[in-house]
Parts: sequence; structure tokens; C-alpha cells
Amino acid sequence: MMTIVLTALQYLGYILIFPGFLFCFVIGMLLCGIDRKIVARMQKRVGPPVLQPFYDFFKLCGKETIIPAAASKTTFLAAPLVGLAALVVLQLFIPIHGFSAFSGMADIIVILYLLLIPAMAAMLGGAASGSPYAGIGLSREMVTIIACELPLVMVLLAVGKVVGGDAVTFSFSKIANYQLANGSLITHASLIPAAIAMLLIIPGETGNHPFDTAEAETEICEGLLAEYSGAPLAVYKLTHCVKVLTLTSFFAALFLGGIGTGIVVVDALILVAICIVLTIVSISFVHAITARLKIEQVFKFYWTIVTGLALISLVLAWYGL
Amino acid sequence: MSFANFLDYHHFPVYSIMVLFLGAFLIVLFGKNKFMRNLLAFLAVSISLACIVALVKPVMLDGEIIAYWMGNRAVAGGYAIGIALEVDALSLFFALLISTAVFVSGIYSLQYMEHDNNVPEYYTLFLMLSGGVIGLVLSGDIFNMFIMVEILTFAAVALTAFRNKAHGALEAAFKYLVVGCIGSTCILVGIIMLYAQAHTLNFAQLSAVIPGNMNNATKLAFALLFVGFGTKAFIVPFHPLAADAHGAAPASISVLISGVLTKSGIYGLIRLTYFLFQTMNLGTFQFLLVFIGSVSMFVCVTMALAQHDFKRLLAFHSISQIGYVLAAVGLCTGLGFSAGLYHAMNHTLFKGLLFLCAGAVLHQTGTTNLDELGGLSKKMPWTTGLFLVGAFSISGLPPFNGFASKWMVYQAAYQKASETGNIGFLFVTLIALVTSVLTLASFVKVSQSVFFGRLPAKYENVKEVKGGMIFAMCLFAILCVVTGLFPSAVTKYLTEPAARAVFSVVNYIDAAMGTGYAASAMGENLPVVASFNFNELGYWSPISWLLILCIALLAVTIVAVSGKYDKVSESSEIADSKYDLFFGGEKSVYSQVGGGDLFWGFKHNWRHYFSFMHDLHSGIVNDYSLWAIVALAIVTLFIQIVL
Amino acid sequence: MFKKLIEESTAKSPWLFHINAGSCNGCDIELVSVLTPRYDAERLGFKLTGTPRHADIVVVTGPVTSQSLPRVLRAISQVPEPRCIVTMGSCPQSGNVFRGSYSVAGPLSKYVHVDVDVAGCAPKPEAVIDGLALATQILKEKRAKK
Repeated sequence: MMTIVLTALQYLGYILIFPGFLFCFVIGMLLCGIDRKIVARMQKRVGPPVLQPFYDFFKLCGKETIIPAAASKTTFLAAPLVGLAALVVLQLFIPIHGFSAFSGMADIIVILYLLLIPAMAAMLGGAASGSPYAGIGLSREMVTIIACELPLVMVLLAVGKVVGGDAVTFSFSKIANYQLANGSLITHASLIPAAIAMLLIIPGETGNHPFDTAEAETEICEGLLAEYSGAPLAVYKLTHCVKVLTLTSFFAALFLGGIGTGIVVVDALILVAICIVLTIVSISFVHAITARLKIEQVFKFYWTIVTGLALISLVLAWYGL
Repeated sequence: MSFANFLDYHHFPVYSIMVLFLGAFLIVLFGKNKFMRNLLAFLAVSISLACIVALVKPVMLDGEIIAYWMGNRAVAGGYAIGIALEVDALSLFFALLISTAVFVSGIYSLQYMEHDNNVPEYYTLFLMLSGGVIGLVLSGDIFNMFIMVEILTFAAVALTAFRNKAHGALEAAFKYLVVGCIGSTCILVGIIMLYAQAHTLNFAQLSAVIPGNMNNATKLAFALLFVGFGTKAFIVPFHPLAADAHGAAPASISVLISGVLTKSGIYGLIRLTYFLFQTMNLGTFQFLLVFIGSVSMFVCVTMALAQHDFKRLLAFHSISQIGYVLAAVGLCTGLGFSAGLYHAMNHTLFKGLLFLCAGAVLHQTGTTNLDELGGLSKKMPWTTGLFLVGAFSISGLPPFNGFASKWMVYQAAYQKASETGNIGFLFVTLIALVTSVLTLASFVKVSQSVFFGRLPAKYENVKEVKGGMIFAMCLFAILCVVTGLFPSAVTKYLTEPAARAVFSVVNYIDAAMGTGYAASAMGENLPVVASFNFNELGYWSPISWLLILCIALLAVTIVAVSGKYDKVSESSEIADSKYDLFFGGEKSVYSQVGGGDLFWGFKHNWRHYFSFMHDLHSGIVNDYSLWAIVALAIVTLFIQIVL
Repeated sequence: MFKKLIEESTAKSPWLFHINAGSCNGCDIELVSVLTPRYDAERLGFKLTGTPRHADIVVVTGPVTSQSLPRVLRAISQVPEPRCIVTMGSCPQSGNVFRGSYSVAGPLSKYVHVDVDVAGCAPKPEAVIDGLALATQILKEKRAKK
């Protein structure tokens, strides 16, 4: 009896504290704060404090929540919560140097689909607000997802082929174990284009510059979020931060596994460091040096250049190079 | 013969077909009375379902193959002359999902059709159609299969034209009739040629005799039968018919055309390629099925994205999902076949649900045009919720059923690619995954243009549909969730026995013709049983995932509600500009982004493809007949070359 | 504890929504210059938003022409509480050189409560930052009173 309670408490701890909510909340916000700071520094600005996303979050929590008369209330309010919860659950499945809170439950293809849930929730929430700006935002968000999906799938298949050899795999734990034994996959020559492609996919999936057409504040009034205010908006902002963490740690698990000590706390810190570096490389640098693309340019970019990189990797991996 | 003899389960296949035809006949007699005809229809579909369900234990779990000879005219002198029903796990699997769809659609019809004229005729045709399809999958005799195909085709044509005052109904029915007849004629000619060669019509005996004795005539027969059943499954290039027929038919019939008729075509193709001609060991034939499947998948999903009508959009999705089934079945591995059947079942469930939702919208608003609708979620909350379940299922969001089966399809294709070292199968996985996202896109489009967004003023007084229709939709929705949450149980008890049945042709032959017949007739040509390995590449446990999600969601909600998340300011009756939508400061006016306005970036980059497709789908029945002929020519050449 | 946190955060993360009420564009450019590397208002947490629903501070420029008045008021009403209204430049305060024109409905304070006025034609970026910083304190007080 005692052990059952303890196990339950342990899993609850996983869900609520580490690597669940609290971890996601704090580190995700931190990553976004660092991102904003780095972009500012690259533009020769002082930039906001690193804790700025926390301030934004708590401020929004204290604001009034207005529900437009045209909105469907239940969907409008429930969508952000579902999106956030799904994303946090997704984070639980991503292994941290061999440590995985819930192993053997979801493989990389499942992760691919779980990543769609927050986007789907945001789209339905936006659609439920009734705003035409949200309609345009929804259309663009969906096109961005379609654009990212093809190269992302190719990257995952290439990784599965390299790890599994003849017995290809979608299993996360096999990928983690392979990297523990053979070193990080990024050192594998055939996967270097895939890693670059994945770095370019991260800003697209999170909706960061220059691929933030769906939430373009100057042309379509924040798109999907046009009618959100107060606490639901805060949840969306939080979801975005967590998504940055999720995607960077997904990258770390795919390509930078095998870096760690075996002590969970140290490994978590290493993961945070890796995530910070990845955020700076894939989000901040790209943000600072580009202007927002048009949606058809986003689509074209992903289905030509990024897909090309991923395809090179896939073919190389297929023929065992 | 004692009464207990009637309840012997060996008679159940006959009962399940008979009650439907009997019901059709009785409704012609007594159908003027509303209560009588509803009762008769309900009894027919439920008895049929009960008979099929009762067969699950002996056939699926115990692995028995029921060979039933009408009037006890069994095999004599090495020839099977009598009319036979032969039920193995594959037949039963299809019969099960067909009779489920028929049952739910029947319940839905009770309220859905009450405002139409000629309802007795509707039920007669409905039951004929259902009986035809169940007869087709349970039949052990290739000529009876043809008869059932004819019955169901003509019932379906008549039902397509049922609302003949509606725009396009007669035209759709005419197209269906013409191309459907080409298909039926192909099947008939194919059967005649087979009979001339093998002097038997029994399926099991043909399966034993034909594969070892292939000549030019049987090859041509194969091509004819292949195209004939392809027409019934509406695979590319026969997909435009499906769109017209689904769009014009009443929604309860669209459920049957999409969930049931296409399945009967797939069933026919499986029987042909795995049993009758046993060509699936050839890589070229696997390629043919997988190629047709992938093309259907991709072409139809892009066609669906470009549609402006709810039901036409769903119709194209049907073919797209059939593409998944065909591609997975064509892989010829245990996992692939199991995945294909699983997806076939899921397709019946979620597509049925979606068509019923479309029917509900049509019933209440009078239109399914995506450019006219909008904002119905406030008026029809149940329909919206159930639609979302269906939409999530078809676009494969976990934990709904579409995900589980698609996930198996990806694995099967990737595994096949790895086993054979053929990079082509890899692209099947890629196409399937991209198709899945495009499916999501088109259902985002539907939810934005029908259920969310702005409510047009003319639909202010729309009400939710009646309880009976919601009940029917709920049945499908519950099945969608359940089959998604227990994928291992579904594969273990339903799809795996069916897949195993396909890989043991000898048992099928012996059950009808007597033990040892296959060995004696086929000699050294006994079919090589393809490898039936079931290694999955990854893992997915929906129950635990759902549990964690619930805990997480609960935690978020508790925190949010205690932080006064739900304390919102809502508009009262008085028009207050605060609660208007933000229009850059302008007064809020009706403005709906939906239908053709969505996904501009995607459509722009693919504009040449879309305009090509637009020109290709001319809507002229002559063109479609030509497509059918060309398809027949290509398949004939292909079979002539590779066999 | 959370109440205190939210109050503190309110002062540190003011998001702006900018309404042009018939301005000559001079103030608009000055407002953007506040966000440039030289002045960088983002270090105080300022951010321009695209919709009034996200905003805390509404910045109005221009003399409030009769054409723009209903639009300005509607947009302001759509900002969730607590909110702060800042007029920028002399036009919304007094009408400036446009005062008395048949097409000017201003000053803005006739229609809504204005929290901060930043005078000047156009005001210097330092003055704008000063005014906005004052507005954040007002926001914090409003939040505390609630």
C-alpha cells in the first residue's frame, strides 16, 4: 500500500514539478527571456530583463478577460488549457540523458502528432472567437504546420534509420541508448543536414520570426490571438514558451543525446544549457537578422530548402553513409 | 428439425442477409404506416447486426471457417455446384463493420428522413443496399458476389437520386449508373471468362484451380475483375463519382456509400489478389496496390482541400482514407494488413460520424455550402462536439482511433522499406504523413467555416437536431474513442485474426472443399505464406497518455479556476462596443473567413497542380467513362507484362 | 503574495496600443523611435501590440477628428481593465494648430478620462518615455485599487 502511494506521488511529482509543469514553466519562460535579451543585444539595444516573460505572464493574469459577443465561450476558454496540458505531457516523454519520466509510452511519431495538439487547440480557440483576423491567422498557422511537417518527418525517419540500421526504429529509448553507446548523433556525418533542417524547423513550429506570419501583429492584429485577453492570453504566451523548451529539448534528445553524467539534476542542468544554446542559435540569431516572410514564402522555404536538406540526410542514411 | 437447430450459429450468415431482404419486401407491403415501417426497418437492421455479432466468437476467436451450403448441396464429385456462403475472419470483419454502420445509419434515418416524401421506398432501397453489401462479403460464390454487386449498385444509384429535386442529384446518379455499369460489366465478363477456364464458380475451388493454371484468358479476367471492384471502391481514377454521389445522396446513405460500399470494393480487391489469383507474393503487385493507394491518398486529399461543399469534401476524404487502406493492404505483411483493416474499420466509424454531422447541418440549415455557413457551434453544441471527435479521429490526433491505425500504417510501410531495401516504400510513409496533415487542414477548414467563425444572420433561429439523431452520432463517437483507446485489443481480437485468415488461403479452400483439396489441386503450387511478423517499430499507450493528460489538464484547470480564470466579463443583452470583435476600430460587421479563403499560401504554391486538377475533373460523364476504359487498358497491360 | 506579484508585474510589462486619431504622422514616428536601439523602451518592458485586447496603455496621437472619434472610442472601450490612456503630442490635448477646425472633435479628454498627457509637437522621445513610465505607475495603482 505504502509503495503504491509513494509511486503515485512520485509520478505526480514528475507531472507537476520535474520534468512537468514547474520545470516547463520556469525554463520555458527563461528561454524566451534569454531569446529577447539576445535579440536586443544583437540589435545594439539594452533589451528587457531576462525575467520579462514572467512579468508579462503575471500581468496578463491580473487583467480582465473579455469574451466577445460573437465567441463560443466554452471552446474559447478551454482551448488554451488543453493546448498547455498536452504540451506539458509531451515534454514528459522526452528523455533527458537516459532519464525519462514515462518511458515506453510514446515514440517519435507520436511526438510528431502530439505537437499538433497545441496548434490545433490554438486554431480552434481562434476560430471560436469569431474574429476574421483569427480566421486569417488560422489559415496561416495551418499552412506553416503543413510546411514544417514534411521536413520534420524526413528528419525523424533519417534518425530512425541511422539508429535502427536494418531494423528501423521509432523508439525514443533506442535512440537514447544508441547515443549513450555511440556518442551524439550529430557527429554522424549523414545526419548533419538533418540537424540543420531541424534547427530551421524549430522557429517555424514555435511561430517565431521570420515564420510568425500566423501571429503577425502589424498586419493581422496578432491573428489567432486577436480577441484573447487576460488569463487565457497568459496561458497562450506560456504555451509558446513551453513549446520553445519542448522543441529544443526534442532536438537535444534526437541529436545531442549521450552528453551527461547520469545524475539527473546535473543532466537537467546540462539540458537547460543545451536548450539555451539551441534557442540562441535557432531562434534568436534568425530573428535578429531577418524580416518576416510572407506565408507563401514560408511554405516555399520549407518545402524546398529545408526539405532538401532533410532529404539529403534521409538518402545518405538510407544507403548507410 | 427442432427449434434449437434454427439457433445454430452456422445459420446466422444466411439470417443476417435474409432479414434485410425480407425487411425490404415487407416494407413494400406494409410501409404506408409510419410506425410499421420504422419498426420493420429497425428490427431488420438490429437482427442482422445481432447475427453478425454472435458469429464473432466462433469465427474470430476460435478461428472456425463457416462454409454454408444452401439446401445442403455440398461438394459432389470434386465440383462445388451449390450456392455457398463462406465466412472466414476476413469476411466477418467486413460484415461486422458494415452491419454496425447500417445499424447506426438506420437509427439516424428514423428522424432524419421524416420530412421526405416516399419514405417507404427509401427504406426498401436502404435495406436492399445493406443486404447486398453483407451478401457480397459473406458469399462464397463468385457469381453471387456479382449479383450482390448489382443489387447494391442499383440500390445505391436509386438512393443517390432519391432527393431528385435537389440540384445535381439526377446527374450524380446518372454518372454513377454509367461508370458503375462499366464496373459491373467488367466483373461479369471476368467471371464468365473464369468459368470458361475453370468450370466452377465456387470461390474456394477457383482459388485452388486458377493460380497454377494462369493463361491469357485468366489474366484478362483478372484485369477485368480488378477494375470492376476498383470501381466499387472508388479508387483513383474513379473518385469523381464518389464525390458526386456522396454529395447528392441523403447523409444516412452517404454513410453507407462511404463506409460500406467502398469497403465492399476493398474486400473484393483483397479476395482477388490474395485468394483468387494469389499474386501478392510478387513485388510488382505489391507495387501496384501501394501505388494506387498512395496516389488515391494524396490526390483526393488535395481535391478535398479545394472543395466548397461539406459533403463533397467528406467524399474525397473517403477515397483518401481508402488509399491508406489499399496501400497498407498492398504491403503484404502481417503488420501492414492488420493496419489496413484497422484503418478500414476506423474509416467506417469516423466517416460515418462526420457524414451524420453533415446531415445534421443540412437538416437544420438546408445547405452544406462551406461559403454560406458559419458559427453554428453556438446553436448546435452537440453536433459541434461530435464533429470535433470525428475530425480529430480522421486527422489522426491522439488518442482517437485514426491515430492508432495511421501510426501502424506508417510503421508497416517503413518496416517494409527497411526489409526489402526499397526506398519507394519510404515515400509511402512520407506521403501518408503529409496526407494526414492535409486532412487536418481540411477539417480545420470545415470547423472554421461551419461550426466556428461568425454566425450569418439567417441562421439565428437554427436549433439543435433531435435526440435520436444525436444518439446515432454518439454511438459512432463512442466507438471512435473506444477503438482509439484500446488499439492492442482491437488488433488482437479483430484485425489480427482477419489478417491471419488472409495469409492462410489453404484453410479457406479446405473449409469449403474438404480437407486436403488444396494440397491435391494445387500440388507444388501451394501458396507461400507471407511472413506474419508483428514487430512494431515504436510504442504508444493511449490509456496512460490519456491518464497523464487528464491529471495535467485537471491540475491546469484547478490552478486556472482558483486564479479566477473563468471570471470573465461577458456581454449582456445591450449592445456594448466593448464586446464587439476588433475591426481596427470600425463597427463590427459580418465577416467570415471560411471556405475557399483559407490556406492561401499553400494553394498559391500549388496553383499549377490545382488548376491541372480542376481541368481534369471536368464533370462530364463521357470523360469519366474514358478514364475507366483507360484504367482497364493499363491494368490489362500491366498484368499481361508482370504475370 | 500573488496579488503583490501581479501588481509588480503590471508596472513592469506595459503593452502599448497605438491609435492614430488624425495625426500628421510626426508623433507616430517619434513613438516608434522610442523603440529604436538608441532609446530602447523595451528595456522597461514596453511592447507594441496589434490589438487593443492585449494592451495596457493606449497611446493616442492626432487631434481626434470627427471621422476618427467613434473609432477611437470603440477601440479604447475594447481594452481590458486596468488600462491607461496616454495622449501623445499637443493635438489630442488641445487641438494644437487644428483647433477650431470644423472637422476636429477633440480634445480627447472631453470623451474619456485621460491619464497622462505628453505635450510637444512632436514630443521628444525622452518625454514620451517619461510619460509612459508615469503611466505604468498609474496602471499599478489602478491594479492595486481593484
